[in-house]
Amino acid sequence: MKGWRTGLAIGLALAVWRSSPGLAEEASPSLHPATEYLSTGMKAEQADLARNRGMLWVDQGAALWRQAQGVAGKACADCHGEAEASMRGVAARYPAVDATSNRLLNLEGRINQCRTTRQQAQALAYESNELLGLTAFIAYQSRGLPVNVATGGPAQPYVEAGRKLWNERQGQLNLACAQCHEAKAGHKLRGDTISSGVGTGYPVYRLEWQGMGSLHRRLRACQLGVRAIQFDQGAPEYLALELYLASRAAGLPIETPALRR
Amino acid sequence: MRPARIVVPETAKVGEIVEIKALIQHPMVTGHTAAGANTEPRDIIHTLTVTYDGAEIFRADFMPGIAANPYVAFTTVATVTGDIVFTWTDDKSEVTTAARTLRVP
Amino acid sequence: MRAARKSYSVAVPAAACANKRRTLAVGVLLGGLLLPGALKTAAAEQLAPFEIVGDAIPLALDGLPGDAERGRVIVLDRTGGNCLICHKVPVASEPFQGELGPDLAGVGGRLTAAQIRQRLVDQSRLDRATLMPPYYRVDNLTRVAAPFQGKPVLNAQQIEDVVAWLATLKDQERP
Repeated sequence: MKGWRTGLAIGLALAVWRSSPGLAEEASPSLHPATEYLSTGMKAEQADLARNRGMLWVDQGAALWRQAQGVAGKACADCHGEAEASMRGVAARYPAVDATSNRLLNLEGRINQCRTTRQQAQALAYESNELLGLTAFIAYQSRGLPVNVATGGPAQPYVEAGRKLWNERQGQLNLACAQCHEAKAGHKLRGDTISSGVGTGYPVYRLEWQGMGSLHRRLRACQLGVRAIQFDQGAPEYLALELYLASRAAGLPIETPALRR
Repeated sequence: MRPARIVVPETAKVGEIVEIKALIQHPMVTGHTAAGANTEPRDIIHTLTVTYDGAEIFRADFMPGIAANPYVAFTTVATVTGDIVFTWTDDKSEVTTAARTLRVP
Repeated sequence: MRAARKSYSVAVPAAACANKRRTLAVGVLLGGLLLPGALKTAAAEQLAPFEIVGDAIPLALDGLPGDAERGRVIVLDRTGGNCLICHKVPVASEPFQGELGPDLAGVGGRLTAAQIRQRLVDQSRLDRATLMPPYYRVDNLTRVAAPFQGKPVLNAQQIEDVVAWLATLKDQERP
């Protein structure tokens, strides 16, 4: 009896906590990795690394990791050694506030910061095979590890900014991210299943793209769908949203390179 | 040369059936034009050949309906230690080769 | 034609002169917005005035007659109303119908044409948290992409066409 009451109290507390920030009209379901919404065939394709097309980019990233770059003539490996050891768990902690610049960096931003300051090389363009490859290669080292971003201290204002964007109606269709991806996750939007809005598999190989793409590219697609002004890849708004998504996804496993429709 | 990925067992016994899987990065541009859609000329991988220890064991003609970054899987029978060599050729005559050694002790 | 007005709650004040009424209605619609003034004028020229009475808009927008057949096309068209992204309709030939909004089979029996019109124009006046986009509203929106700025999702004629078709869906049964 007592256990039942405690359970109910915790359940109610969770329900209040879960539903407080959003526009969601129903109590939020627990979050699901987007892989759960894939067909059996696509799940198998994602799990089989001999068949997972994202591994083509992971391989490219692995090669770049060992190539000397820029004026400094240094490879990533010259400082960081074997990525399998040094990069394990790193992607699970990104986006993160960079202590020296006090700026929020996602993995792509961190790679480019290293390139411009340490390797003295050109920053890689968003959606270039090189940046997708390096990002996927580094995130791949955290495959299966739980998302664990810092949300307090200097990260807190960014989390709040991301949460605000998540809950803000936008575009001609006047929809907020939360309205679909919280309240309607698992439901059908035409033939597609709405995800819980967790970016735990990025960069992903998306069938619609017939290629690999970043989380920010995916966010642009959603903004296009609601007929809103799209932010640029790497924009501060997307970085904050990426951090907020990661904070919601805390504990879910990294799935890079994931396969998505 | 395009990024390619071949997965072959490291070793196999004589007579064992082994599965070979391969991926290559290629946009497989169909060249089909719908109103307002892409008008790029066709550029697909049209031929894949695979040799094992010098002898051809697999050949495929690809068609424009095949998705980007095409995946192929087939089986063969392990006979001797030798290289399994993939050669993909596209409409621009770009050739990509990649190889793995199958050890048959 | 406005004989019954006094018994309804009127959200938008109506003036005696039709032209003046249009100006007033749009003025109220756009009140307190972030849109620049120039856009307000442009939008004001596009939107027909309407009166909300309870949960309905009794009069056809701009007095236009709706065409059910055209409405059906708009509902099914992915670049038009794209209604099937969220709703099911009793049209068996359409695969992959959405399930976010109510099933529209029988909607013409459940709601009057006037109530359907209100839900298309701006459902958020009835339900603040609704998922249903406002199909005939240009104000109080955030970061609208350039091609759509100052324009409603559907124009007055299209709204009336869709209302006309939905009103024919009286049967709850699916084919």
